[in-house]
Amino acid sequence: MFNRNFSVRRLPGFGAIAIFTFVILYLPIVILVVFSFNSGLSQARWEGFSLQWYEAAFNNRQVRDVSIRSLWLALVASGLATVLATLAALGTTRVSRFPGRTMIYALINQPLMVPEIVTGIALLIFVAAIKVQTGYTGMGYLIAAHTAFCIPFAYLPIRARLETMDITLESAAADLYASHWQAFRYITLPLLVPGIVAGFMLGFVISLDTVVITEFVKSAGQDTLPTYMLGQLRRTVTPEMNAIATLFLALSLCIVTAFFLITRKRGA
Amino acid sequence: MTAQTKPDSAEIEIRDLSKVFGQGAAAFRALSEINLQIRTGEFFTLLGPSGCGKTTLLRVIAGFEQPSTGSLRINGKEVAGLGPNARPVNTVFQNYALFPHMTVAQNIGFGLKMQGKPRAEVEATTAEMLSLVKMEAMAERRPSEISGGQQQRVALARALAPRPRVLLLDEPLSALDLKLRKEMQSELKRLQTETGITFIFVTHDQEEALTMSDRIAVMSAGKILQLGSPHEIYHAPSERFVADFIGDTNFLDMAVKAVNGTVAEVTLPGGKPGTARLPEGFLPVLGETVTTVIRPEQVQMVDAGQGDMDAVVDNAVFFGTDTNVHLRLDDGQGFVLRRQNSAETIEPDAGTRMGLRLSPGALRVLKG
Repeated sequence: MFNRNFSVRRLPGFGAIAIFTFVILYLPIVILVVFSFNSGLSQARWEGFSLQWYEAAFNNRQVRDVSIRSLWLALVASGLATVLATLAALGTTRVSRFPGRTMIYALINQPLMVPEIVTGIALLIFVAAIKVQTGYTGMGYLIAAHTAFCIPFAYLPIRARLETMDITLESAAADLYASHWQAFRYITLPLLVPGIVAGFMLGFVISLDTVVITEFVKSAGQDTLPTYMLGQLRRTVTPEMNAIATLFLALSLCIVTAFFLITRKRGA
Repeated sequence: MTAQTKPDSAEIEIRDLSKVFGQGAAAFRALSEINLQIRTGEFFTLLGPSGCGKTTLLRVIAGFEQPSTGSLRINGKEVAGLGPNARPVNTVFQNYALFPHMTVAQNIGFGLKMQGKPRAEVEATTAEMLSLVKMEAMAERRPSEISGGQQQRVALARALAPRPRVLLLDEPLSALDLKLRKEMQSELKRLQTETGITFIFVTHDQEEALTMSDRIAVMSAGKILQLGSPHEIYHAPSERFVADFIGDTNFLDMAVKAVNGTVAEVTLPGGKPGTARLPEGFLPVLGETVTTVIRPEQVQMVDAGQGDMDAVVDNAVFFGTDTNVHLRLDDGQGFVLRRQNSAETIEPDAGTRMGLRLSPGALRVLKG
């Protein structure tokens, strides 16, 4: 049994296990990044430093197209999801208890519970039916699917922020002659910003990353970066893929850093 | 701004007001049949233990809760049904509820801004309020960057800035340490006198209530038990609960022999005759036992047999200015006497037999 002075730091082998875990987590990424600068074609033998694969990626028109599509899809979908999630979070924390509230939580969080492949197939069938009926094959389907999928990821941090916010602040605003809208505009919303930013960032990364949903919903010529890369890998693996992956890694690091800085400044 | 106490004008008038939370078997009656008039410009205190309904009553006046029945008028205007933003009443919250993302000055100006006052007026009033609470130097700080006592001042200034007719204070001093609390007590009193605004103050601290209030309403279980000046509440409690809640008290049971106007003739413990004042509108049954009350400082020690009652000393507790002498009366009832100390006074030994002389008119009969 553990005694009173039990400390995880003094557990034998703790340090070794920690280091091993970090190696497992990050070594593959380090290798990926390193070989994106390889001058040869090999993923296993270092042949000298070169930026040729970055050049190839930049000059590859297809890569440019799918990257831009991925980014604006993620931006639009997570933006919409954040707005809807904020409304849902306000509706489930700032309205007096109503029957079925727990049910609503479960429904909002559905994409977290249902396997992605199931959602994907369901969307495939649903979208196919609408395509046949209307003939519309635009980006609307992908935007709708990504938005729905991002909602719970945006909802959770926003709701957490609302639940920990001191509700007497809103009472104080009302006491000081603020209308419902003014109390929201001047008190709730500014204090909610870190939650909203977190929700948006999470949604953005999720949308950028999802392969399954996109694969099942997209029409011809609507590849996003992940589905394009998956398609390329079926043929040959060139360090060009490493270069693209490295750029995306850099982008997500920027997003996380920005998020950290924003929440630290605003989260009083 | 001058004090404008008009004793006859009612700032707040509450009639048959009750508040019930929940429904059916789970219903909880937080306030029942409250009738109350609060005068313009007075420092009014709602005093009672936690759960007595004092905070609920304050929240009903503020508009955070709506009354279940009854009427509530502020300055003659019925406000039941109106939200907090439609009432000329501001609140100082127990936890201050300062807006963490705004500066001290922005916090103070918030109410005026919401009222749509022009910017110049908001700034001028904010500056005035900052100087009123002596916080000019902290105007650009955030609430998290100032001390608890300073936050308290900002909360006060913020609530006073829109010049409400009534200021509601919900145990605003409970989070402060003793020394700061004493300071803020006189500060509050000063602000009330300077602004002339009616203050309604909620507290469970009887000493705070006695020092600061013009009038006190003692509450228990959703009802107002007694309403009066601090002097009346302390010296003429009408009910056992009030007497017990405020200050130290002796309760003595004794038989009533005769009623003579507002005075009952009673048989004191030990058999000597005595008189006890009757509360208004209360007639005891002759021969029955009533409960009477007398404060520990309204009794003097004399030689055995020389006073109104005789007692034996159990022990004496010295605490600086005073000593509490715990005694047992001849009929077995316990009794506490408070004696003011000087350098010469010595504590009586346990077992000493002594007489007790009651101050004339100090003994009072309780209603229940």
